[in-house]
Amino acid sequence: MARMDELRVSLSPRLSAVRGLAQMVEEFGDANKLPDQQVYLINLALDELITNMVSYGLRGVARPKIEVGLQVHETSLILSIVDNGQKFDPTEATNPDVSSPVAERPVGGLGLHLIKTFADRMQYEYTGGKNRLTLEHDLTPEAR
Amino acid sequence: MDIEVAEERDGEALVLLPIGRLDSANARSFESIVMERVDRGEKRLVVDFGRLNFISSSGMRVLLMAAKKLQAGQGKLVLCSMPDHIHEVFRISGFDQIIPIRDTRESAVAEA
Repeated sequence: MARMDELRVSLSPRLSAVRGLAQMVEEFGDANKLPDQQVYLINLALDELITNMVSYGLRGVARPKIEVGLQVHETSLILSIVDNGQKFDPTEATNPDVSSPVAERPVGGLGLHLIKTFADRMQYEYTGGKNRLTLEHDLTPEAR
Repeated sequence: MDIEVAEERDGEALVLLPIGRLDSANARSFESIVMERVDRGEKRLVVDFGRLNFISSSGMRVLLMAAKKLQAGQGKLVLCSMPDHIHEVFRISGFDQIIPIRDTRESAVAEA
């Protein structure tokens, strides 16, 4: 059966906003019977991206705004994040070297690396003065 | 925002149990707790995930920093009792190659 359920949230850019959003994503996951791991990956991405926006991208912006959308499609989960901060393309950020020994590993850059590792498709565009990022995660067969 | 962390001594190992959610909102609080223990000379550290249901990359970053610092001083960090969905993410991202993860507290303490 076709289904397409959607969650839309407008956030005021504060670090604490991530928590309320995480709760909504978990409830959305329960309602759509999504696997724990897929809900976890969405919240992992949101924590990283929104923290970056609040700490850097939206600093000094007159009317800062973040809009988050989450949609369940037939075979995938689509997360979209739109913000009116400084232009930042996460798809172009460099990957940390994850194969190096612990003593040589840089401690930053991990969050974006995780997002890239787990997203099946990732798309970025900057239009109308806004960053628009879309992450697509394929649903595991049992979650479809 | 502060994180609640239970703390238990098991032989020579110090076991830390962060509770609830470890994210960008409270990673600094967790960092100061962990690094304070490392700086005062704890060498065998176990972080038990049994009471944690979420860890963000900022939380993982704290673990990485602690592992680095412990390794530099001939110490060791071992993780244990991870929920399946978190363990899977640590495995696929290669994190388990850097910091050992054990199923039980007992085996983590033995290895630390």
